[in-house]
Amino acid sequence: MGYSTLLDILGSILIGGLIMLILFRLNASATSNLYNNTSEANVQSAMISVGTVLEHDFRKIGYCKDWTKIPDPTKAILFADTSSIKFLTDINNNGSVDTLYYYLGPTSELSNTPNPRDRLLYRVVNGETPKSSNVGITKFKLIYFDSFGNTLATPVTPPGQIQKMQIDLQVENPEPIDSTYVVAFWRQLRLTARNLQNR
Amino acid sequence: MGGKAILFLVIGFSTIFLIMEKNIGTASSRAVDNMTVYYTNMNVHDIAVSGANVGANQIFLDPTWTAGFNNVSFEGGSYTVSVDIINSFTNTRRITSIGYYDGYSDTVQVTLQPSSFSKFAYYSAFEGTSTIYWVTGDTVWGPLHTQDKLTINGDPVFNGKVTTKKKVIITGYSNPQFNGGYQNGVDMPIPGDGAANLKAMADNGGADFSGHDTVYVTFAGDTIKYKYSYNSAYTSALGSTLAPNGTIFASGAVLRLQGTVKGKYSIGASQETKTVTTTYTNKRGKTKTKTTTSTIGGDIYLDGDIVYNTNPQTDPNSTDLLGIVAQNNVLIADNSANKGNINIQASVYSETGGFGAENYATRSLDGSINLYGGIINQNRQPVGTFTTHGSKTIMVSGFLKNYRYDNRFMVASPPGFPTTGHFEIVSWYE
Repeated sequence: MGYSTLLDILGSILIGGLIMLILFRLNASATSNLYNNTSEANVQSAMISVGTVLEHDFRKIGYCKDWTKIPDPTKAILFADTSSIKFLTDINNNGSVDTLYYYLGPTSELSNTPNPRDRLLYRVVNGETPKSSNVGITKFKLIYFDSFGNTLATPVTPPGQIQKMQIDLQVENPEPIDSTYVVAFWRQLRLTARNLQNR
Repeated sequence: MGGKAILFLVIGFSTIFLIMEKNIGTASSRAVDNMTVYYTNMNVHDIAVSGANVGANQIFLDPTWTAGFNNVSFEGGSYTVSVDIINSFTNTRRITSIGYYDGYSDTVQVTLQPSSFSKFAYYSAFEGTSTIYWVTGDTVWGPLHTQDKLTINGDPVFNGKVTTKKKVIITGYSNPQFNGGYQNGVDMPIPGDGAANLKAMADNGGADFSGHDTVYVTFAGDTIKYKYSYNSAYTSALGSTLAPNGTIFASGAVLRLQGTVKGKYSIGASQETKTVTTTYTNKRGKTKTKTTTSTIGGDIYLDGDIVYNTNPQTDPNSTDLLGIVAQNNVLIADNSANKGNINIQASVYSETGGFGAENYATRSLDGSINLYGGIINQNRQPVGTFTTHGSKTIMVSGFLKNYRYDNRFMVASPPGFPTTGHFEIVSWYE
């Protein structure tokens, strides 16, 4: 084995080492990207799921298959605050009036997750046991408007003034990636529940 | 040897990266898919809502329209609209609009029923020749509509939905409360045939007292008593026999009304033009004829309390319901029975006149009008006069107003009570 062979081996080790370093760096970057993208997809999926349920329920404020049971739509909203609302509706479209109550729980309920801001959004039907799941909701804000487009002070008294509302929803992942949280924001601007404007 | 190992290493990592890249791509496309599905759902929903709106507008333009629309292209998709009469007795209709977009579909159902004037706590075509303000202390408990401007000076409270054809004028530092919402540009004229339609219904299954200048009707529970002059005796009849369909009418007569109502009734009066031909002999001894034309009737006087047998204010299950329909005015009679408070439980409709008090400016200071129902009138009318001493308002004559809305009128209407001629949306499912 001559000098040239030794030089070949040293050269190939050096180049191989460099390539391996590049590959390891690439691997770390790809893993991070994959994690990021998956987190974003999950957060976005959670947000769309919650948004779809909210739209479904909020569009039915004041609705009942037997309309004579909610004849006056101005009485359909029972309570309206910044992050909670209670209203009359007909969830199963079976002609019986249901009470639906949405409210945001405190951050202390999810103190076991790394995200200090995530909370539970509760959906309570007819006073039954509140139901929720941790999808990483960090913001659920309701803004109410009267017929003239003026913003109403909360809690709204009387709730019959409400003609439109704005819903802000923010979802974050429970675990941070490189100390940052993936955020998805959804806003339903000036949602109008049609039954509030009947008659 | 070393070269081969590196080659294997590169190939191995490349394979791993390819798999990772695929996963990254999948995650990214999943995120895009989420948004696409959400967008598609929103789009198909909006198309279905648009179809429902187009159908509702068509019914507004032509209340008999039931043809529907089939597969109308709209915003890259299409909608199909059908109209069904789901209750022929109440003429309740349902619009079903199905939107289609990119393989998705969504359905919106809108229920409509004929709109009755009895749903209003207060309605006026004109708010008076001089400006009549809604002021602090005025409270309306149910739906209000005016074809005129709504002029506000102070802090009135409107607890039901307020609609106007013209605008709302809010003066100075007024702070009105529209607790049931407000909508302007709503055109809902009072019909010219509301009383005539009630008469037609009374002629066909009800009671029509015609050929008398004055008709006195007193409700007495199951019995209805009537007579044609003040001094004559009442004739009594069972309400169900006298007016099986619940409509009572006095054509070409002044109706004088009071009593306790049991059941559902509408009672009305219309004016008639009478032509009288008289024959006389003039100074030359010739026989001449003279024809005079006069209009009589159409006013309803409330000679005393007119209340329900079962008071809905204390018993919400009360089924007693009354509509008072005058072609002209409904007036609280200036008589001894009305010295003090008068209790009225009914929806009061005045087609060309208004609801007021007879001799409001010259009668004594009587008490309060305790009205539980609604007032629908062409012109807002006074019921008394007042003077002010500093900030104090002192009644001089007539009545104070104590009006409360009977919520049952949101869902029920007295038989034959005038309708707007249009449908109203009572339920919107989406």
